[in-house]
Amino acid sequence: MSDGSVLDHHSPYETPLHRDESAIAGMWLFLASEALLFGGLFLVCLVYSQTRAGGWAEGVRHTNLTIGAVNTLILITSSAVYTLAVEAGRRGDNRGVVRAGLGAAGLGLAFLVLKGVEWGQEFSENLFPGPHFALHGPASGAAALFYSFYFLATFLHGMHMVVGIGLILWICRKARQGAFSPAWSTPVDVVGLYWSFVDLIWMLLFPLLYLIGRA
Amino acid sequence: MARIAACWGMLVLLLAAELAATWAGLGIAVCVVAVLMVLVIVLGFMQILRGPPLAIIFALGGLFWLTILLALGSLDSFTRTTVPVPGGALDGPALPDRAAVPKESR
Amino acid sequence: MSESYLWQDGTLRSWLLTRDHKRIALLYLGSITAFFALGGVGAALIRLQLLEPTGTILSDATYNRMFTMHGVVMVWLFLVPSIPVTLGNFLVPLMLGARDLAFPRLNLLSWYLFVASGLLVLYGLFRGGLETGWTFYTPLSSDYSEGRVLPVVLGIFLNGFSSIATGVNFIVSIHQLRAPGMTWYRLPLMLWALYATSVIFVLATPVLGITLLLLAFERLFRVGVFDPTLGGDPLLFQQMFWFYSHPAVYIMILPGMGVVSEIVSTFCRKPVFGYRFVAWSSVSIAAIGFIVWGHHMFVAGESLYSAIVFSMFSFFVSVPSAIKVFNWLGTMHGGSIRLDAPMLYAMGFIGLFTVGGLTGLFLASLAADVHLTQTYFVVAHFHYIMVGGMVSAYFGGLHYWWPKITGRMYPEIWGRLAAALIFFGFNLTFFPQFILGFEGMPRRYATYPAQFQILNVLSSAGAGILAVAYVMPLVYFGWSLFRGARAPDNPWGATGLEWRTASPPPTENFAETPVVTTDAYDYGDLDARAGRADAGGPHHV
Ligand code: HEM
Ligand SMILES: [Cu+2]
Repeated sequence: MSDGSVLDHHSPYETPLHRDESAIAGMWLFLASEALLFGGLFLVCLVYSQTRAGGWAEGVRHTNLTIGAVNTLILITSSAVYTLAVEAGRRGDNRGVVRAGLGAAGLGLAFLVLKGVEWGQEFSENLFPGPHFALHGPASGAAALFYSFYFLATFLHGMHMVVGIGLILWICRKARQGAFSPAWSTPVDVVGLYWSFVDLIWMLLFPLLYLIGRA
Repeated sequence: MARIAACWGMLVLLLAAELAATWAGLGIAVCVVAVLMVLVIVLGFMQILRGPPLAIIFALGGLFWLTILLALGSLDSFTRTTVPVPGGALDGPALPDRAAVPKESR
Repeated sequence: MSESYLWQDGTLRSWLLTRDHKRIALLYLGSITAFFALGGVGAALIRLQLLEPTGTILSDATYNRMFTMHGVVMVWLFLVPSIPVTLGNFLVPLMLGARDLAFPRLNLLSWYLFVASGLLVLYGLFRGGLETGWTFYTPLSSDYSEGRVLPVVLGIFLNGFSSIATGVNFIVSIHQLRAPGMTWYRLPLMLWALYATSVIFVLATPVLGITLLLLAFERLFRVGVFDPTLGGDPLLFQQMFWFYSHPAVYIMILPGMGVVSEIVSTFCRKPVFGYRFVAWSSVSIAAIGFIVWGHHMFVAGESLYSAIVFSMFSFFVSVPSAIKVFNWLGTMHGGSIRLDAPMLYAMGFIGLFTVGGLTGLFLASLAADVHLTQTYFVVAHFHYIMVGGMVSAYFGGLHYWWPKITGRMYPEIWGRLAAALIFFGFNLTFFPQFILGFEGMPRRYATYPAQFQILNVLSSAGAGILAVAYVMPLVYFGWSLFRGARAPDNPWGATGLEWRTASPPPTENFAETPVVTTDAYDYGDLDARAGRADAGGPHHV
């Protein structure tokens, strides 16, 4: 198992390259599926932000743009740092993988912590929809809808972050055992695809939750 | 290394542009920038063009189906003639909590 | 030459940790059979209740929970997985000439996900169940239901990941693991069908997942998402639910079409007529199937504009289905047809699917649907396709590949008898429901006006026959495991790589990777091989 540059006996593949390409392709297919998972959320957003525009924008204006923007920057950086791990993996530089991996995971953690702070603020301001919802006025129903969407979307994205951080730590452990070589570093690549995808989803959620309708 | 730094720089610039567009109230511009950011990630970080051709096929397939979902899924809402419902207006205020279902039976 | 996959290592541990697609197929076979039985008990109770206009077997509330249980279990825990995870898992690598699926560990994971999701659903059902119907419409499911919506909905959410894993595995395998010479147009039609099915698995299932998650969120925290009293749009739930569930009804037919293509060719000993049309019709059914879902909301308040668009697309989707039917008939035309049990099931499929598909056209017409929606006509429509079609194909496929899977023949007489009985019992159960629905009997009620009783009694009687007929294979398949005649490698004289290896196959499937030199269903090539083998040439595996 530790040396992926040769095929084990029962492998369905002809060559290691054949196997590695299949793994990459498989991950992309899974990501296509994930895109439709978030796609359902985007549909909700598309419909409500148009048919209930006033209240929806009201909700957008109440999100914390500073934390949102900082978090976006963090995630961009994390994705970039992890890409360094991918490059290190291709060189067979296991220590480089660990270093960049831990950096990316740390940034991911920072994102989650900030997100938690933001959630805490929102809870204390009664922005979670319910009988004590903070926003009043004629459009507050749609604003509450916005916050339903906000909390679920950030929760789902956060769960993906948690999974991603777990995967990165798994990669770091493998790298510490010296698993990767120029001939074989596919797992680093595959996890990188997932991590960048989580980043990508945030690049779409950020404008939807914080920007569009703000001004 | 240089490629990654360049992509990172591009993303930061785009983020700045996005924020600027928000201040200017240009919703469309925000959307365009968001799409550009996604492209930078897909091409720069995920390096889709370096992967097997299947990766591109799968990604485009996902995109295509996403379009179907968004387009046909919103068709109804955008073409519906709404009949106003007394008491439950679309942009109306939030109603107080309804009689909650007993917790244990959820 | 090595031992069969069944006996290579007989410990329980080796089964539970296996990565062999053939063993995983059997693990799945056991699980979904149990769920089929459970769903069947639900159906039996429903039909017993409906023997009388005001039945007393179930209270109204229990009746509602019973049909929900029946629907949920049959759809997600039996029919959606059925052919793909059992026959599909077993056959995809064999038909490709590969040693295993692309991601063997993912395959095992999908089974565990399936079991976990099944247990979660069962927990919800046995701790009180729910009365929402399998469609979970809001606001009933989010606000008013007093049942156990959450565990069931989360179970189905988890179940989706099992489907997605299978879909990813099949698609990548079919792209990447074809044996030398196995071009796309040489693939058996079963693989085209499974490929199309997998596309739906991968691209539709996640939307169901998010929809159910939103529903769970709304119910758990009492926040608005779809709830109209909180400003939401309940129809949006239906849009999203059917974005998955209409394509999912094609998950519940396409694999059956694949099986039938294989069986029809073998028992007519002719290549499938119009191979490329049949292959591409699978793909186009999957694709067009994604843009018709709005036909479930014609009377729900959907905009007229949207309804017209979806009605039109619904008519389009019947074209590739019809192509298939005509091509099967074209294959049978002029052939010398052997009427073994698998072929009986396949012919049953063709007839019943045709009825189901044609009645779908009635329902897809806006004006007719206003009269027929929410009546027993709809119930009959989808049972003709899902049970008459898909379950028949599933049984046909089990009989057809049973010798390959187990190395034993099933008793042919009993097989034919069961097939005939299923066909008869099925029609007796569901044909009356067309009339009932047309006359206006609504679905999902525990009672009905007395004038409908005769047809309901007929339907219940049919259900009794159907129950017996479904138990029969269980008995004689079990018997054949121990007493059945040993199966030769290719008992039906079929083409296809799975028949070129031992029955049951060795763990690594083929002694050496097969090389494909001819189209699928080339019976001339088969005869030539047989000739060579008789002449004392090297025998395969
Ligand atoms: C091929 C496999 C098919 C399957 C497995 C299938 C299954 C189903 C199911 C399960 C329902 C009922 C859903 C519910 O309300 O609980 C349904 C309804 C419906 N089906 Fe099909 N169907 C199939 C094909 C078709 C075709 C080809 C058409 C039209 C061309 C069609 C048109 C409809 C329509 C319009 C309804 C909605 C009826 C109503 O609620 O008023 N179906 N089908
Ligand atoms: Cu449908």
